[in-house]
Amino acid sequence: MTVEQATATVDAGAQVATGSPRPATGRANFLQVVRVIWMREVLIYFRDRPRMISAFIMPILMLVMFGEGLGNSIATLPGDIGYRQFIFPGMVAMIVLMNSVFSGVSIVTDRQFGFLREILVAPVSRTAICIGKITGGATISLVNGVVMFVMAPILGIDITLEIVAKLIGLIALVSFMLTGLGVAMGSRLRSVESFQMLSQVAIMPAMFLSGIFFPINNVPAWMDVIVKLNPVTYAVAPIREIALSEQLKALPADAPFQITHVDWFGYTLSTWEELGVVFVFGAVMLTIAIRAIRTTE
Amino acid sequence: MTPAALRARGPAPQDGRVPPSVQVSGLTRRFGDITAVDGISFDVGEAEIFGFLGPNGAGKTTTISMLCTLLRPTAGRATIGGYDIVDDPAGVRREIGIVFQDSTVDERLTARENLVFHGELFGMAREDIRPRAYHLLDRVGLVERSNDPVITFSGGMRRRLEVARGLMHWPSVLFLDEPTVGLDPQTRRSIWAYARSLRDTEGVTIFLTTHYMDEAEACDRVAIMDHGKIIALDTPDRLKARLGGDVVSIAGPDNEGLAREVREAFEVEPRFENDAVEFNVEQGGEFLPILLNRIEGEVRSVGIRAPTLEDVFVTMTGHQIREAEASEEDKMRSMRQRGFGRMR
Repeated sequence: MTVEQATATVDAGAQVATGSPRPATGRANFLQVVRVIWMREVLIYFRDRPRMISAFIMPILMLVMFGEGLGNSIATLPGDIGYRQFIFPGMVAMIVLMNSVFSGVSIVTDRQFGFLREILVAPVSRTAICIGKITGGATISLVNGVVMFVMAPILGIDITLEIVAKLIGLIALVSFMLTGLGVAMGSRLRSVESFQMLSQVAIMPAMFLSGIFFPINNVPAWMDVIVKLNPVTYAVAPIREIALSEQLKALPADAPFQITHVDWFGYTLSTWEELGVVFVFGAVMLTIAIRAIRTTE
Repeated sequence: MTPAALRARGPAPQDGRVPPSVQVSGLTRRFGDITAVDGISFDVGEAEIFGFLGPNGAGKTTTISMLCTLLRPTAGRATIGGYDIVDDPAGVRREIGIVFQDSTVDERLTARENLVFHGELFGMAREDIRPRAYHLLDRVGLVERSNDPVITFSGGMRRRLEVARGLMHWPSVLFLDEPTVGLDPQTRRSIWAYARSLRDTEGVTIFLTTHYMDEAEACDRVAIMDHGKIIALDTPDRLKARLGGDVVSIAGPDNEGLAREVREAFEVEPRFENDAVEFNVEQGGEFLPILLNRIEGEVRSVGIRAPTLEDVFVTMTGHQIREAEASEEDKMRSMRQRGFGRMR
């Protein structure tokens, strides 16, 4: 564009109108802010093809590697449940865990590219910004978790519509909790590199000591303590209970140990009680994330 | 529509007069031992283009950060559109648009999406957002690129998009922090043409910082800032008129000697600039023959010109804007930039 054209554009604009007259703009309401922040997260995710495709391929790779590789050398599961069936809900939980925590990186990149400033200077509630970020990240990991259900029939798992519906609700809750953790971390860290390192450090033990890969009711006492303190344990258990409910019904009553429910000093938690733990942890994470965003600079 | 009518928002003035858009008194900000902004006071009027001129590190960005409620002042008060920057930051934020020194657009979104996002975040009514975005994209010459991701935009296009975004929610004051740094002359001209038309047609007050002299010349009023203080504040013409007359420059093989002679013969304080000796006199044309008669050292060139804002700056601070930029101020600058990034 030449200078003349640029000036002409401006002159023409000045003559046409000054835009619509300035209306009284109010403060954006809470839900409007949550919606627009959520929308942006989801939009950016679905535009990023490589990220989407690798997020889809990853769990399949995992299932093949662990289910087939590890499965052949593990044969201590009671009843008719094979390792492939056992690990499937674990893989769903793992995908949700990884996607949720990693989605906190979006705050770090927003900060690096300056866009966080655009969000933070708006006259809006920081709590709404935080909840928007968390629901955005949670939506993405919910989608990734649910996509894995297509693998269930291939692995010989009886999956019904009822099970799918229950799982979606459950995974949504778990995603919300774990994304809260990611967002809390993201709003405190300045570089993508440190976020990635720290989230690896957080995810690794949470992943291996949560019952994703092996039954937790058959581990040494010291590990048992860590497993019971790990919040992810209480997310993995109900996912497995629901996903394998058909198989578990067929389990013999005299099985040497039960493979799903968490045990507290001999007391076996019900699915609802496990969900309660997830809910409480989620509320704590949400509070921490909101505080972190409120005080972020 | 008059500018005042367009700007019908914010607390009503008590006596029916339109209050200044920006009122600042005794504003101060310290970072540890360093006083970045040192008790400055000024008013900016309705529909005015107000410029902050000074070297990097003079405290311009720190001042803007405080006015935009991104940084808490250590002391002093300021109101924008009647809203206090400390007591009512949300009120201030609705009233202002900001274009930061560094890009803050989301390059993964399209130009239009960036504006729509902003509109929603500022609580604009759904039916206003799209027409307003279209109108602004048209005004900054980006309407054909509305649906392209910003990652494909040049630096100048991004800056124009940021200006459009800053205006989405009908702010009464638009802050531009070094708006044309790193832009080509064409883009600079179009941004300036747009700024003037905004002031004239929509009554928007424009508050900008710059270290470009020509840009400061184009402002309605200029505050010259150095070491955290405002050392002069007036229209560019009046600032230059304060120097009086013309700037005479002479150069020869021995500039030091020439300067000494000039000082003794005419009782002026010469300064060295552009490999020449420069000083101010009332009537440059009549002075030149006298000068050449009295000077004994060898003179290779002489010239007269009208004073610029740069001369004003040099006279008032004793150093050039460029010098200050390259000196120890750089440390303070980077520190303050960190301060700018530190937001509440």
